[in-house]
Amino acid sequence: MSAHNESILREPLITGKNITYSKITEDVLVPVENKPNKAWWIGFGIAVILALTWVVTISYTFWVGLGTWGLNKTVGWAWDITGFVWWVGIGHAGTLISAVLLLFRQNWRNSINRSAEAMTIFAVICAATYIIAHMGRPWLAYWVFPLPNQFGSLWVNFNSPLIWDVFAISTYFSVSLVFWYTGLLPDIATIRDRATGLRRRIYSILSFGWAGSVKNWQRFESVSLILAGISTPLVLSVHTIVSFDFATSLEPGWHTTIFPPYFVAGAIFSGFAMVQTLLLIARKVMKWENYITMFHIESMNVIIIVTGSIVGVAYLTELFIAWYSGVEYEQYAFLNRISGPYWWAYWCMMTCNVISPQLFWFKKIRTSIWASWVLSIVVNIGMWFERFVIIVTSLHRDYLPSSWAMFYPTTIDILLFVGSIGVFFTLFLLFLRVLPGIAMAEVKLILKSSSDQVKQKLIREGKVEKSHGEYYQESLEKYDSVSKSDYAKS
Amino acid sequence: MKSNKKYWKGLEELKSSPEFVEKNKNEFAEQIPLEDVLSEGGLNTVAPRRDFLKALGFGLGAVSLAACQTAPIHKSIPYLVKPEDVTPGVANYYVSSYNGQSILVKTREGRPIKIEPNEKSLFGNTGTDAATQAAILDLYDVSKLKGPKLDGADTSWDKIDSFVKGELNKLQASGKKIRIVSSSISSPSAKSVIAEFITQYPNTVHVQVDAVSYSGILQANANSFGKAVIPSYRFDRADVIVSISADFLGTWISGEEFTKQYVGNRNSASLKKGKMSRHIQFETGMSLTGTNADSRIPVKPSEEGPAIIALYNEVTGGQLPGAQALASNTAANTAIKLAAKELLQARGRALVVSGSNDVSIQTVVNAINSALGSYGTTIDLDNQINNYAGNDAAFSSFVKEMNNGEVGAVFFMGSNPAYDYSDPKLFTDALAKVPLRVSFSDREDETASLCTVLAPTSCFLESWGDESAVEGYFTIVQPTINPVFNTRQAEQSLLAWSENPQKNYYQYVKSYWEKNILPGAGKSWKDLLQAGFVYTGAKPAGSYAFAGDLTGVAQTIVSQSKALAKDIEVHLYQNGAMKDGRYANNAFLQELPDAVSKVTWDNYAAVAPKFAEEQGWSEFDLVEIKGENGYTIVLPLLLQPGQARGTVSIAVGYGRTKAGQIGKVGENAYPLAKVANGSVQFHTTAAISKTGGKYELAQTQTHHSYEGRNIVRETTFADYKKDPHAGTTAHGAAHHNYDLWPEHKKIGHNWVMAIDLNACTGCGSCIVACNVENNIPVVGRDEVRNRRDMHWIRIDRYYSFNDGGKSVTKEDEISELENMDNISVVHQPMLCQHCDHAPCETVCPVIATMHSSDGLNHMAYNRCVGTRYCANNCPYKVRRFNWFNYWNDSRFDNYLNNEFTQLLLNPDVTTRSRGVMEKCSMCIQRIQGGRLAAKLEKRALVDGEIQMACQQACSANAIIFGDMNDPESAVSKALRNERTYYVLEEINTMPGIGYQTKVRNIVEA
Repeated sequence: MSAHNESILREPLITGKNITYSKITEDVLVPVENKPNKAWWIGFGIAVILALTWVVTISYTFWVGLGTWGLNKTVGWAWDITGFVWWVGIGHAGTLISAVLLLFRQNWRNSINRSAEAMTIFAVICAATYIIAHMGRPWLAYWVFPLPNQFGSLWVNFNSPLIWDVFAISTYFSVSLVFWYTGLLPDIATIRDRATGLRRRIYSILSFGWAGSVKNWQRFESVSLILAGISTPLVLSVHTIVSFDFATSLEPGWHTTIFPPYFVAGAIFSGFAMVQTLLLIARKVMKWENYITMFHIESMNVIIIVTGSIVGVAYLTELFIAWYSGVEYEQYAFLNRISGPYWWAYWCMMTCNVISPQLFWFKKIRTSIWASWVLSIVVNIGMWFERFVIIVTSLHRDYLPSSWAMFYPTTIDILLFVGSIGVFFTLFLLFLRVLPGIAMAEVKLILKSSSDQVKQKLIREGKVEKSHGEYYQESLEKYDSVSKSDYAKS
Repeated sequence: MKSNKKYWKGLEELKSSPEFVEKNKNEFAEQIPLEDVLSEGGLNTVAPRRDFLKALGFGLGAVSLAACQTAPIHKSIPYLVKPEDVTPGVANYYVSSYNGQSILVKTREGRPIKIEPNEKSLFGNTGTDAATQAAILDLYDVSKLKGPKLDGADTSWDKIDSFVKGELNKLQASGKKIRIVSSSISSPSAKSVIAEFITQYPNTVHVQVDAVSYSGILQANANSFGKAVIPSYRFDRADVIVSISADFLGTWISGEEFTKQYVGNRNSASLKKGKMSRHIQFETGMSLTGTNADSRIPVKPSEEGPAIIALYNEVTGGQLPGAQALASNTAANTAIKLAAKELLQARGRALVVSGSNDVSIQTVVNAINSALGSYGTTIDLDNQINNYAGNDAAFSSFVKEMNNGEVGAVFFMGSNPAYDYSDPKLFTDALAKVPLRVSFSDREDETASLCTVLAPTSCFLESWGDESAVEGYFTIVQPTINPVFNTRQAEQSLLAWSENPQKNYYQYVKSYWEKNILPGAGKSWKDLLQAGFVYTGAKPAGSYAFAGDLTGVAQTIVSQSKALAKDIEVHLYQNGAMKDGRYANNAFLQELPDAVSKVTWDNYAAVAPKFAEEQGWSEFDLVEIKGENGYTIVLPLLLQPGQARGTVSIAVGYGRTKAGQIGKVGENAYPLAKVANGSVQFHTTAAISKTGGKYELAQTQTHHSYEGRNIVRETTFADYKKDPHAGTTAHGAAHHNYDLWPEHKKIGHNWVMAIDLNACTGCGSCIVACNVENNIPVVGRDEVRNRRDMHWIRIDRYYSFNDGGKSVTKEDEISELENMDNISVVHQPMLCQHCDHAPCETVCPVIATMHSSDGLNHMAYNRCVGTRYCANNCPYKVRRFNWFNYWNDSRFDNYLNNEFTQLLLNPDVTTRSRGVMEKCSMCIQRIQGGRLAAKLEKRALVDGEIQMACQQACSANAIIFGDMNDPESAVSKALRNERTYYVLEEINTMPGIGYQTKVRNIVEA
């Protein structure tokens, strides 16, 4: 698959000199095989404190009841479902990267898919905690599964979008987990081969007896493709179904046919932003600049600008349709979003999701690490507000004005959300310590075809047209991990 | 064939050796060494190790098995001898009486759990007020006294009796005065007990005092007609009603009675006949009555007198001075002229009432009514109302007597002057000079805590007694439970202390009735206990003519009005839930939203929004209100549209300090009142200043306009007469609806409801009835503030404004209005609509809510996991979530979370646990009960046999429940009415509850 050389016109996916298979292994396994550094400890410490906050607040909620939250008779969902949809959305980038980009043979995914998939799994876990926590009687959460029971033919309600959600989320989680773990097998085997003692035994079990034989690799490739095929529809279906929670209801502001595509675009949008948030730090701390290059960052920024614009168009379409529908409840719902008591949430959403990503049209910003990181955070804030706007500002003023009410979060609401971020980071940081954050095997796959050193060699050996070689050098301008002086000699 | 076979057990038997024969004689072949074992030697033998282990093993096993028994032991005591009439699971109903109304008390297994109207009674048909519905909770009030007390220490009734008798005899000998101070007593037996007490101790005088009295009317009628009575008003006979600040549908004299009469001229039946009364209200604060008026004109307290004088002048053509003071209020001035014209056109069918307690104003009102020919038609002076005999002047002189040290003993019976007298300090200081102070209060309230002897009376549900609300109408109070605490009813105490030969009040009542009341009616005591009341018939209403000089009266009015006009004018009023404050410890009433402001758990200072703007005040600002006498209270402001500018309205009945666990709510406004012109005046002035603080009132509704939405549909009487469909937007044509879902087949019954917006006055007694019937938790002020009230039925109240003939309903337009005085109000009861296409049903993931075959939307609490999706998707927002475990959470200890109060619970209705959704079940337990009863009797259900709790409590008969499958049922007929519409029918939820348009009898000026 990677025997031939890639066109010189393409930007390198691996930079740095003297990159060998073993160097990749060494570089990627630094966090796994060594004692953690200070940065990790600080990050982990904060994450664990937040995760413990989550444990305390959720225990308190379970003990006392949902009255600890700011919900009321009119606003039955607020930060809980906002958090749920936010996390599910974040989870979307993982599958898109691992499945869709695999099918489209976007080799740049190889460096980022592992972390993105891990992020997906942890984000879906966080989302699932909200599903259970938002229930009035969480100890009966298993009733949403169509389990055999002693009540005769007591079944779940297949008409309810919440049941579709249960299936969508659980399918998504299990497929993502399998996909992720399958991809991990050769890497786990690598760790096993380098480890001793107990570690070796554990990784040995985890590697499912991977031997690295041709047959192994052949099957690995086929399974990856099959799983990619299975996952691809999930990328579209999960958030489509999540959007059905709203779209199939009667609530003005929810009852909208545009929701499925709009939610999927938003999910990819926020997912990539989160990948960006995580990897920009990881590549710095782990010194992975050679593998996660500026090209990767820029590519993700391009996806962010595309999906962000789709979301922006969706926002405007909603407004138009509300006006065009002539339904007074619908019109009021959107007027209320823009100018009602929660106007600031709407405009926060608009600014963060539609206006600020447009900055990525500028190459300078698109290729600036700091700008990318800050904007990725902005996008995630914006996407949180999008869900808040959809859920709370629709609910708080619907049909009968007598029931109009305001929602104010309690400390528990806030701590629970902040805590769920802590849970996410705790899991992610632990993941970085025990499993390779970059798919080594897949990066090695493209070393001989898409790395800078290969392209340099081609230039040096005069195997490329001069103008092409110059073009290639020029386009390297933005790279922080490539020294231009290397090209001066040639 | 007989068998000769013989089986032998061994060779020994076959051989039958003598040795064997000898052994076989005994039961056991060998001797058992029992004696050896039981003898001392045997007992001392060492048990073999094996036996010991066996015994140990068995013993341990047995003990641990026994210990494994985890099931709690419930001691259930079966009825060895079943009490007569008590069948577990079957309710018993007993007639009784509350505030003069004949009621039915529902008891289950010996506990009273619900009060229902006695439909067969004279004024019964349907309906009770909210206080009556809530009164059941008073029985289970933990704050009540548990027994008698003497000088602060618990004691026995014997000791109390001997002490009080001893003291009374000493006082009688010394010639000191003895006073019984009570609230108005309409009970003939109690009056007789007091009379006999007075015979025994002739120094005694009975002083009746009401916190909110009608002294003004009593005195005015005495002056005008020589009859110091409150007449029976007949709103049913009045085609034109002009009320000047009388809240006659709410708190004025007998709101519930008047509601029935009033609505009779405005409901569907009346409209069908092409008849609707016209109601013009002049008032300061927005009252329940004002919200129902066809025309409502805000007037300041200082303008009330001039308005009445102006009305008198217009009606009679007289020239009383003082009407000019109204000139500045052009709206009122024009309205008075118009009202006079309408009144004159309806001579003999007109009624003018005033809520003032001032004798001068009431005298002019008498003159107007006399000129309109109301006496004998709409006012009946011969069949008086007995509920309010309180005399302000008598009480004032009583306080003087105490102050002079002339009073030796005072007995407080249902009155609490330390709380509700306008000058509490004067009263308490004077009371301290009385040596023997006895209170019959059921709790250690403000007055009782100043008394030396506490002789707590029993709850009316534990007592015998009688009442006579109206002349000739007698109702019986009978106990439904033994006294829960060591209490004794006040009458019984008085009997004991006056050495009455009849020691037992039950016998006393019985013999009193048998002697005085029953013979006249030709009834027996047993008949009475079945019917609950006796009516000896109304006397013919005579017509009275007013003949007096009004010049002096008018001068008094003018000078009083001038005195009021100098400052911010204060209007003290009672709200429908708290009334005069005696119900302050009733959680159901505290949580019943005020019919107008929707505020719970507090009183407040209501001011007009425009006035607040001028003063630089905003909503919920804490203000200090300093009365004329220097009394100061701090209250939050409420912006009340319709309030007269330059005035502030404050509800009395709050600020109880010793009502009990929950009664300490709001601030006491009574001391702002003043005694003037011989009576307590609730109009006064005050200086108001901002304190800088804020206090958020707990309101169940915070948005007050309906935003031009089609949910409330109204029309005018003129348009209705042209087209009965007016305002429904239907015009008789049926819509065709398309369904995605299969239709629900309603075999058998199809339960639906009809609500007449033109009958509903918004009083809220349905809310309390529903609370009691369905075990709805009280959540308290903080949770209402968090918008988590649990009421299954609520009354949405919307304001709209008339701006030059245009109806303004949207909030952004309202805020730009120059004049907010032209306000109209609509009350819309809102409860689960039992939609045929219920949005809640499709979204529940676990099928916890589903449709029944008889048209109801069911809620299976046990299946609910609490996702709240159903509540989000409910367009009517009628679903209520159990945010906490209200029945088992220390935060709710104040309300219903204690074992004693929980005896109130209706055993037919599950209490809901935390995390479960609930909502109106259409009293499914009543439907089921009715169906079972019919089934047992092998007959079809009769229309009207099953009544919803809300329907039953509605005095206005605004709610009709029944079977839509029966075309002849009352509800089917009501829903065929042209005025019927369904709320949000355009989203095709197909609600089961139809509303009838609100009709306003507006006269184009």
